[in-house]
Amino acid sequence: MMLGRVIGEVWATRRNPRFDNRKVLLVAPLERGDDGKLAPTGSVVVALDTVGADIGHTVAVAWGSGARAVFQPPDNRWVLADAAVARIVDAVTLGNDEEEQHLE
Amino acid sequence: MILGRIVGTVWATRKNPKLEDLKLAIVRPYFWYDPSHDVDHLIAVDQVGAQVGQDVLVCVGAPGRWVAGDYRCPIEASIMAIIDEVRIASESLSDGTPRFALRESFKPTTLQWTRGRT
Repeated sequence: MMLGRVIGEVWATRRNPRFDNRKVLLVAPLERGDDGKLAPTGSVVVALDTVGADIGHTVAVAWGSGARAVFQPPDNRWVLADAAVARIVDAVTLGNDEEEQHLE
Repeated sequence: MILGRIVGTVWATRKNPKLEDLKLAIVRPYFWYDPSHDVDHLIAVDQVGAQVGQDVLVCVGAPGRWVAGDYRCPIEASIMAIIDEVRIASESLSDGTPRFALRESFKPTTLQWTRGRT
């Protein structure tokens, strides 16, 4: 899993049936910067939404085969996805300062 | 998943029996989430009927292998959808310069999108 921020959405009408009619989100992965705050790394991933995330939300994204575990059986083998938004993150604690960063 | 553009198709007469009846397309990715995975193009199974020049959403790795209904297939990428539009929050783009690793050829159709839009 990785932390990321939702920055956009992809719209598509013509879909593979295994797509499962879910929202497709553009997520910018976050990493700890020099100032100790989470900052975008500069790359972008595309992930299926399962929790109703929206632009600006900080989310946890599951990868690869693990992404299919986000979906409920018996769909999890059927859904075509290599990245899925598993949860919306409220706050994180980084390092020793133990100061919670409250995220939007 | 990644976004890419279809730049060609692959035709083969002699192929692995698992690949029978599957159309193959050459996709040029717009970006990779991991720079170490960066490749110029990849070959993906196309089940949605995409044409050359169209932008598509591509599923890579083991999940993409399941499109043929079986994981024992020599497939590592498959096309999920033909993209109509990409919307990126305007606050993600500072001074008109993308802070994200989008290649120059990739231009989102709508850049203005405020949160709270219903």
